Amino acid sequence: MTQPKSDLPQGTLDLLILKVVTLGPIHGYAIAQRIQQISRDVLQVQQGSLYPALHRLENRGLLAAEWKDSETGRQAKFYRLTAKGQTELKSETESWKQLAKAVRLILESSEANG
Amino acid sequence: MSWWRRLLKRGEMERHLDAELRFHFDGLVADNVRAGMSEPDARRSARLEFGGVEQVKEECRDARGTRWAEDLWQDLHFALRTLRKTPGFAIAVIGTLALGIGMNTAIFSVVNTVLLKPVHAPEPDRVVTFIATNSGGSTSSLASDIKFNLWREQTSVFEDVSGYFLSPLDLTGIDQPQRAEAIFITKDYFRLFGLPIAQGRGFTDEEERPTGTKLFEKGHVVVLSDAFWKRVFDGDPKMVGKVISLGGDPYQVVGIMASGAQTETAESPDVWVPLLIHPNSERQVHYFQALGRLKPGVTFDKANAQLRLTTQEFRRKYPKSLSTSRGDTFSVQPMQDVLVGDVRASLLILACAVGVVLLIACANVANLLLVKAAGRRREIAMRVAMGAARGRIIRQLLTESVLLAMAGVALGLALGVAGIHALLALNPVDLPRIGQNGSNVALDWRVFVFTILAGLTTGLVFGLIPALQASRADLNSNLKESSGRTGSGLHQNRTRSLLVIAEMSMALVLLIGAALLIRTLIALCSVNPGFDAHNVVTTRTTLDPRFTKAPGVNQLVQNALGRLNALSGVESAGLTGLLPLAGPFSSLPVIVVGRALDGPSHGNSSYGQVSADYFETLKIPLLRGRTFTDADRLESPQVAIINQAMARHFWPDGDPLNSQIQIARGLPGLEEPVRQIVGIVGDVHDDALTRNTLPALFVPVAQRPDARTVGSSVAWVVRVHAESPSLNSAIQNELREATGLPVPSLRSMEEIVAKSTARQNLNMLLMNIFGGSALLLAAIGIYGLIAYSVQQRTQEIGIRMALGAQPGAIRSMVLVQGVWLALIGVAVGIAAAFGLTRLLTSLLFGVQPRDPLVFVAVPVLLAAVALLACYLPARRATQINPLEALRWE
Repeated sequence: MTQPKSDLPQGTLDLLILKVVTLGPIHGYAIAQRIQQISRDVLQVQQGSLYPALHRLENRGLLAAEWKDSETGRQAKFYRLTAKGQTELKSETESWKQLAKAVRLILESSEANG
Repeated sequence: MSWWRRLLKRGEMERHLDAELRFHFDGLVADNVRAGMSEPDARRSARLEFGGVEQVKEECRDARGTRWAEDLWQDLHFALRTLRKTPGFAIAVIGTLALGIGMNTAIFSVVNTVLLKPVHAPEPDRVVTFIATNSGGSTSSLASDIKFNLWREQTSVFEDVSGYFLSPLDLTGIDQPQRAEAIFITKDYFRLFGLPIAQGRGFTDEEERPTGTKLFEKGHVVVLSDAFWKRVFDGDPKMVGKVISLGGDPYQVVGIMASGAQTETAESPDVWVPLLIHPNSERQVHYFQALGRLKPGVTFDKANAQLRLTTQEFRRKYPKSLSTSRGDTFSVQPMQDVLVGDVRASLLILACAVGVVLLIACANVANLLLVKAAGRRREIAMRVAMGAARGRIIRQLLTESVLLAMAGVALGLALGVAGIHALLALNPVDLPRIGQNGSNVALDWRVFVFTILAGLTTGLVFGLIPALQASRADLNSNLKESSGRTGSGLHQNRTRSLLVIAEMSMALVLLIGAALLIRTLIALCSVNPGFDAHNVVTTRTTLDPRFTKAPGVNQLVQNALGRLNALSGVESAGLTGLLPLAGPFSSLPVIVVGRALDGPSHGNSSYGQVSADYFETLKIPLLRGRTFTDADRLESPQVAIINQAMARHFWPDGDPLNSQIQIARGLPGLEEPVRQIVGIVGDVHDDALTRNTLPALFVPVAQRPDARTVGSSVAWVVRVHAESPSLNSAIQNELREATGLPVPSLRSMEEIVAKSTARQNLNMLLMNIFGGSALLLAAIGIYGLIAYSVQQRTQEIGIRMALGAQPGAIRSMVLVQGVWLALIGVAVGIAAAFGLTRLLTSLLFGVQPRDPLVFVAVPVLLAAVALLACYLPARRATQINPLEALRWE
């Protein structure tokens, strides 16, 4: 944890969770770790926001959950993406990319630099 | 998982949440151990990283979306627990609301049926009754042929103008001769009320046109009611076209009414027969009522303007019309208003009274809720201090008051339904429009919704006010205040004191109204009806010699009276056309022979035929002259007896016994011979006991030719030694055998007298129920307030007693507090009643609206009850143990 932690903008956590879950059924602890690994420790997800977000997504029908044996042999709650979640992920990714592009254009424009 | 499953599987959800978080935590620990930490260090680090487990859980629960329902459930549980701890409070609130709501639902359901529900007709608000107002200002809805024909011609403003009257007809020519309730109508009546004829047809123009010159010509077609067709003719499918015998005349059945056809003018007629009015009729007798419908676009103003013109035309056309019609002005009124008549006043007043009861009930509930909330201020402050959110506390307090309100409403509904039944069982009196046995009266949902809203609003508003206050209040002061509660006197309970004062004053107004009605009934009971009703029975028949066993009406009457007198147990028997309390009777013009015709001393009088011993049978006192004897026969000198009212009105100075009179001079078919007045009898109330007796004139039935008496309806009165059902049926049998006429069951004259005061009785009873409830509620209100203040001042009272205050001093200290409230309430109430009781005038009899006795006695009663209600908590105050009081809380 040499690099400073970064706070996630509103709504971004949901998008990250949906993305991570596309890789296959996965439990909460692994989601947190996966986000941390992939972001090379830049993004650290607190349990305090992870679980409410998971439950919210589940209640909105974007995620489905199931209790299964985990790699350690203990029962864990595995989340997977629903069809509705897939659609949501696609449109959210699209709008995120557009937003990022727009932000970059502004940040790198010469006028603003000057 | 659906919302419902998430809500219902709460336990499972919680277990899963626990397991999921524990799995995460254990994962952190395992990773830490793998990274080289010792087991305890690994746990501590994981715990630090994890943060507050409960907080995470709360947020997860919020994410479920079932939160509010769970909270509601929790609040309900808590509310039930709290209420169970204070059952007295809960019972008082629920009972109070139920009382108010129940009474209102019952009364307003009746009011709705009688006053508000539109008449059963197409375009009900355009259906009108024709009225004639005479120069004296009194109105009559009775019409004559000449008036009716004139009104029917006003086709620019009216349509479907129809006449009707009710009169029973005897159905004969079948195994069991019986009475049929007949309604005589002109043909447009069917269209006016949109009456559906199931088979056959209504009447044609020809069928309602008289062909001869007879005075009252009868029709020859009839429409049967569905019920009558089924009951009497077993629903004969080929009934239309058959001929039946009504009143001795043949009538052809031309139609059968659809079942459930409702008519507003008669309870449930068995047969509809034509009322024959010739377009050129010159008849001036008033014997039926006229109805019509305003044409589309015609207003009441326009119609009445047109009728004023018609009045002038009428006077031009009939310059020598009878004095009854001379000063008449014609107008129309909505039929509904005329139908409801004088019941309107009493129902409106009862409705207002019951509304006041609801107000008192709401005030009481508000008071109880306020007291309750004040007592919980400290508890609430404590919960706020421990972190409860304000919204959450308000919601919880509201749940409690709404729960109470709902319970009150539910019980109120049950009471309301029971109340309607009780009201109808008690007395369907002669309330118009309620149907047979009140079958038209049903719980009205609008009334119910209104009362529910009233109840819920009270619960919400007076639950919300203290909730807001309590939750906003400064914690510190609240927690502190309750630790040293002293001297929370009335100035701190201002809202509650005002509510109690309002309750007291409203209760006083109702009680004064109730007392005035009691005095009215007492006054009515002491009215001398003018005859002795004790041990007299009566029944009514239509004289019709065509199927009787005597050659003529006179012979028939003589035979029947003779046989009745011979019955053992019978003291005497008589016959009359003017049965007491059966009026009002229609009247005819009377002329005093020898006086100038334009003079003021002519006028109208009701007149009727009586048998010789009628006056003796009813013990109507003879004041002067003689009564009729058997010597007064058709061929002997014609005589008449007048009542005192007539003597006063026609002979203010002179002596009636020297005078001769003539009834209906110049009226074709009605004119009587000149008669000598031979006696004056005492006044008998022929209408209501509350009304003055009108002039009445009696002629011997033996002096009237059969042509006059045939078809007239008369009452037989029989004085017996002791009334008994077996004697009644013996009399009924004897009459039937002697006359061959259908004879309805006998009624006791005392019952008829009692029934004549039934409406006042009902008013009195209901008003007293309302007044009593108001008194009870006000007593509960003042008791609650004083008891609460004593409880709040426990510590203060303890200190006073420890310092040597005598129990008597403590008691009067508490009492004074309550008595002040009561006195202010009584003062306000007296002032209000002084202004309001005048509205009761139309319901009162024999008592002034500002009767001094009532205005003194009732406030004293209320003050005494209030004193008693305050005495209980005052006594409790003196029993406070100083030591315990100082330790209290």
